Amino acid sequence: MTGAANVTMNSTPLPGRTPRVASSMWRRRTAVVGLLGLAFIVMVAIAASWIAPHPPGQTDLSNVLAPPVWAGGDAANLLGTDGLGRDVLSRVIYGARSSVLISASAMLIGGTLGLITGLIAGFFGGIVDTVIMRLGDIQLALPFILIAIVILGMLPERRPHHLILVLGVPAWIVYARVVRSRVLTERESDYVQAATTLGASGFRRIFRYILPQVWGVLPAIALVDLSNLVVMESTLSFLGFGLSAPDVSWGQILADGRGSMAMAPWLSIIPGLAIMFTVLSINLAVESPGLETRRRLWRLPSRRATRPAGDTHPSMKPAGSAALEQPEDVLLSVRDLAVDFQAHRDSPAVHAVRGVDLDVRRGQIVGIVGESGSGKSVTAYAISRLLAPTARIARGSVHFDGTELTEMPERRMRRIRGRRIGMIFQNPTGSLNPVLTVGFQMVEAIRSNRPMGRKQARALAADALRDVGFGNPEDVLRRHPFRLSGGQNQRVMIAMTMVVEPELLLADEPTTALDVTTQAQVLDQLRRVRDEHGVSVVIISHDIGLIGEIADEVVVMYAGRVCESGPAEQVLLDPQHPYTKALLSSVPTPEVIAAGNLEGIPGDLPDASAIIPGCPFAARCPAVMDVCHIAVPALLPVPAGQTVACHLYTTEAEVLQR
Amino acid sequence: MALFLLRRTTQMIVVVICVVTLVFVLLRIAGGDPARLMNAADASEEVIAATQARLGLDQPLAVQYLYFLRSIVTGDFGRSFHGGYEVRDVVFAALPNTVALAVVTVLVSTAFALLLGIGSALLRGTLLDRAVQVYVSLAQSTPSFWLAVMLVLVFAVNLSWLPAIDFTGPISFVLPVITLMVALTPILIRTIRQSFVETLERDYIRAARARGVSNARVLMIHTLKVASLPLITLVGLQSGMILAGSYVVEVIFNWPGIGKLAVDALASRNYPMVQGSVLIAAVAFVLVNFVVDILYSVLDPRIRLGAEA
Repeated sequence: MTGAANVTMNSTPLPGRTPRVASSMWRRRTAVVGLLGLAFIVMVAIAASWIAPHPPGQTDLSNVLAPPVWAGGDAANLLGTDGLGRDVLSRVIYGARSSVLISASAMLIGGTLGLITGLIAGFFGGIVDTVIMRLGDIQLALPFILIAIVILGMLPERRPHHLILVLGVPAWIVYARVVRSRVLTERESDYVQAATTLGASGFRRIFRYILPQVWGVLPAIALVDLSNLVVMESTLSFLGFGLSAPDVSWGQILADGRGSMAMAPWLSIIPGLAIMFTVLSINLAVESPGLETRRRLWRLPSRRATRPAGDTHPSMKPAGSAALEQPEDVLLSVRDLAVDFQAHRDSPAVHAVRGVDLDVRRGQIVGIVGESGSGKSVTAYAISRLLAPTARIARGSVHFDGTELTEMPERRMRRIRGRRIGMIFQNPTGSLNPVLTVGFQMVEAIRSNRPMGRKQARALAADALRDVGFGNPEDVLRRHPFRLSGGQNQRVMIAMTMVVEPELLLADEPTTALDVTTQAQVLDQLRRVRDEHGVSVVIISHDIGLIGEIADEVVVMYAGRVCESGPAEQVLLDPQHPYTKALLSSVPTPEVIAAGNLEGIPGDLPDASAIIPGCPFAARCPAVMDVCHIAVPALLPVPAGQTVACHLYTTEAEVLQR
Repeated sequence: MALFLLRRTTQMIVVVICVVTLVFVLLRIAGGDPARLMNAADASEEVIAATQARLGLDQPLAVQYLYFLRSIVTGDFGRSFHGGYEVRDVVFAALPNTVALAVVTVLVSTAFALLLGIGSALLRGTLLDRAVQVYVSLAQSTPSFWLAVMLVLVFAVNLSWLPAIDFTGPISFVLPVITLMVALTPILIRTIRQSFVETLERDYIRAARARGVSNARVLMIHTLKVASLPLITLVGLQSGMILAGSYVVEVIFNWPGIGKLAVDALASRNYPMVQGSVLIAAVAFVLVNFVVDILYSVLDPRIRLGAEA
């Protein structure tokens, strides 16, 4: 298959990326506020000796516990004085100096140690790596605060360098882990491999190629570390294990002031606000868009899906809904169904499905075939009303056994899902909850839809598993899905879905993730489901060969529209639409491969957010005419027996050419 | 599973030995000579030598280390310098108070964080979500000791609603637990919210809904069980934070627990008491992490069975 054909795994169209931009704007703004706050604190710390009105240790016993200016104090002590008559403002300013000095130095020490050990561990690997990482594990398992308190508590006098070491050194492992994993990834990357092949020396590789990549992750970790350090430093000071006088720290001011809390509450409040301001600034700075961080967990809100009442979408021409008749045994009838994805109010809508007509009779297997992004899976999800929150049904109707599903309240819809419309998915293992056993999930599925005791449901589940070919159902029931193979899980899914005897089964790429032999088993099961229970099946696949093998009717979709539908043999053996023809000729059959002239379809799918005035396939169609660019072809029956949406068979072409 | 248990137990024992050794080394290096500290400052050299002999301090360091290990195994931490109580008795009397505080804190914090985390995950982009986000930012920036002091200032000193200090029954839990909760919940809420948002987008959640499973079951069983796994690890990781927080909280609220015991003992250089309280706290910390690991593997079959295979 050539690249141009691109008939690959199906996936739901992704909504636009616009919200990211909006959020990064917002994040940039908070980051700027944070960085400004941080800069302010650093400036105060540096300029402490010039801007502080008094020396921090200067006592004045004639002026103890003077109130701050807002509480009637004088301007000589803007923030009042403490129990020894020391100026609080000056002490807070000098406290900033201690806090910045200790936290920043500790961060640098931890960061440097971590960077070096991380580089060594990642680069040399083997026993060196194991030893370093095990040491790190042990250190992380040690209660850091206890050890810090014991070490500091034993010291007769604590100077800044003591705190810097005690706080800084233990943080190495946090940096080392990240640096190491970065180095490991980078070491395997192509350009580093290439440099190695070219004979770049080990250290050259580290400095030239690996270090620049590692730099990227460090600022974010360093900032998070810094905010912890600020809190730790002041906590230790508060507990009496921080800096000894004459050095001042915020925690110490608070501890000193606590005794006179009732009389001088500002002594307790002010240093806390200083700490909070610092930590908040750092936390906001972490949000900088340039920083890679795992801490940024608050993802953007996405718009909840709502179906606005009476929504009038600028309607494209409904694709010939009147042309299709509706026989009596039709179980599911979809008319002009359109689905839009919109991640955010302001982002452009993606038109994943642009008007689909589909009929499924009782006991019939209908195959929907199309490339990735043709809207075939979205159609199935829209029918069962399981669309992603960002998607909505823009227009159209889904009639199931005489009931309109698009308008149905969620409560009633839930009684149809599972019970009357079953669904199986492309990724069978991912469709089963990994932490619950198969038995639990089957019993739950049965009891959600049929009033039945637990025991009875379990017996039924075992029978259902036996039906899909498991010789040891009891054993399978006890297992977790990840202990089963993909094919086994898909059979479990089929059993689980069919055990409640739905009338319609929607199978979205049920065999794509499976190997060829397992595919055959799963297809067999689907056929049996229809033959033995009379269930209607809609099977969705990008594989036209598979569809031909199992389906009675085929619907070919392109860019969210149906371009051809009809009895399987008719459509596959005598295709009328140029797209169907192209699709069929891109299927690799042994003869074609031997002849070496496998054809692809040149060009790509049209932009899903664009409004296409004409036939969506026009840009890639070998038989394109002028009319194809300006008018949407209606889905009409053609003499060969199927219905086709192509201007080769409409009257518009003649009208225009006349 | 057996192999996994064995590996984790070995790891735990190694860590405990490390802690014990570290405490020994720290006390010997930084602590000075306990024999001199135990006696009056003007005690004669004979008296000191006798004390050293009684405490085994005249032995080589290696022998002392072995004695030290034996005293730990037998639970004999010696007598307090002040009052001469058995350290063991004092420590074990204080331990339940700390444990009670920690347990209540973890339960309340987890419930609170689940409520806000799940709420904001389900109501993404609404006012509630924004409000929770603001709470998380503020709580993250608030130092525990300051919050504790502020709570005392407002509720005990100014309003006199609650007892400021001393242990007077259940009501005493209110302020300490709030203090610790504010320290713990920001990360918990962020993790729960993120984990819920991610889990809700999984294929198996959609598949469960496609099977007609009710919304309540999808949320409470399918989503919660998977989404709460990171929560368990987190609570384990945060036992360090609880420990650190309990030191602060116990000192401020005069809570008769291990933390206050250790801080007081350090302040008065009461080494046997420091040794006993620090060891117990360290072992408790390591044990909690061990239990959390085991719990995690029980709840997540992928780990349990993966280790077995």
